[in-house]
Amino acid sequence: MSVDAELENWRRDWQAADAVPLDLRKSVERQTRLMRLGLLADALVTAAMGGGTSWWAVSSRQADVALLSVATWVFLAVAWAFGVAVNAGRWEPSALDSKAFLDLSISRCRARLATVKFGAGLAVCEFVFGLVWVYRHSPERPPVLMWLFFSSLPIDFVWVFAAGICALLVWYRRKKKAELDYLLQVRQESA
Amino acid sequence: MRNDALERDFDRLLAANGPALARLARSYTNTISDRDDLLQEIALAAWQALRRFRGECSERTFLFRIAHNRAIAHLARARSQFAETGLEADLPAPGPDPESELSQEQRSNRLRRAVQRLPVPYREVITLALEDLDYAEIAAVLGTSESNVGARLTRARRMLRGSLEEKK
Repeated sequence: MSVDAELENWRRDWQAADAVPLDLRKSVERQTRLMRLGLLADALVTAAMGGGTSWWAVSSRQADVALLSVATWVFLAVAWAFGVAVNAGRWEPSALDSKAFLDLSISRCRARLATVKFGAGLAVCEFVFGLVWVYRHSPERPPVLMWLFFSSLPIDFVWVFAAGICALLVWYRRKKKAELDYLLQVRQESA
Repeated sequence: MRNDALERDFDRLLAANGPALARLARSYTNTISDRDDLLQEIALAAWQALRRFRGECSERTFLFRIAHNRAIAHLARARSQFAETGLEADLPAPGPDPESELSQEQRSNRLRRAVQRLPVPYREVITLALEDLDYAEIAAVLGTSESNVGARLTRARRMLRGSLEEKK
């Protein structure tokens, strides 16, 4: 091997040492894109739900509808506050090396797990509030249990929807937990 | 220079040279926490010195000079602590590699450990040469002549080659 080829080989090996692996970098970039899309989706949901209930409250001039609108805005505000807090400092790696990318992936994984927990709690609150509100506005008020399970197709649809959300959260939590375990193992091995 | 412009320059400089600085810091330290400490020191020193930078040399030379000075200071401090405490440094001591075909990561690690074993005057020149700095830039960083750099680099490469062959 010529002397210059030797130095070039050493340079390649040397500079590869702290280069961020391509799959890790792509994964972090994909997560960042998804976070941006999530932000956009949150803004659209806020505009649709907050705007929709506000418009309904103004046009109907009913106290109960105003209450629904206020509650919707409270739920949205709580969700936004959590979203901003959980994403703070997680938009980009602190440095351009493998360690920083790995740390960010781990941190984002933990944030997603916290989001699942928070999301489940918030969904239960919204669900209960929504059902109570609809029950109070039912023209007929059968016993609550009968109304909850056998009164109408829309209520049955709400239950199916809730079960779907629940299954989705469980699946997503398992996926993120497995990802977190893997990333922690990688970090331990590379330490 | 205004503060926001200074901050932009600083971020750009660190973003462009972050991995190289991490490698340099790693060749002068034995643990990840030490490396991170040294990187913090380098970043702080670069931030303080950036206000006084008037473009007398390239930004890369400027940054590497600071990094190199901080690394040598860090090494001196670590040595004095070692002498005081008598603790053994956490230097990785790899055994012979059973595989003749090494992966990229293994080759990188083997090279890094071989560089870490070099005496400081040779480690200085080889780490900078491995970062693609030419003789003039290395001389500017180390504050020495190009001929001195050439002589030290030749010797450093011979020692490094010997060390790598020994470990095969």
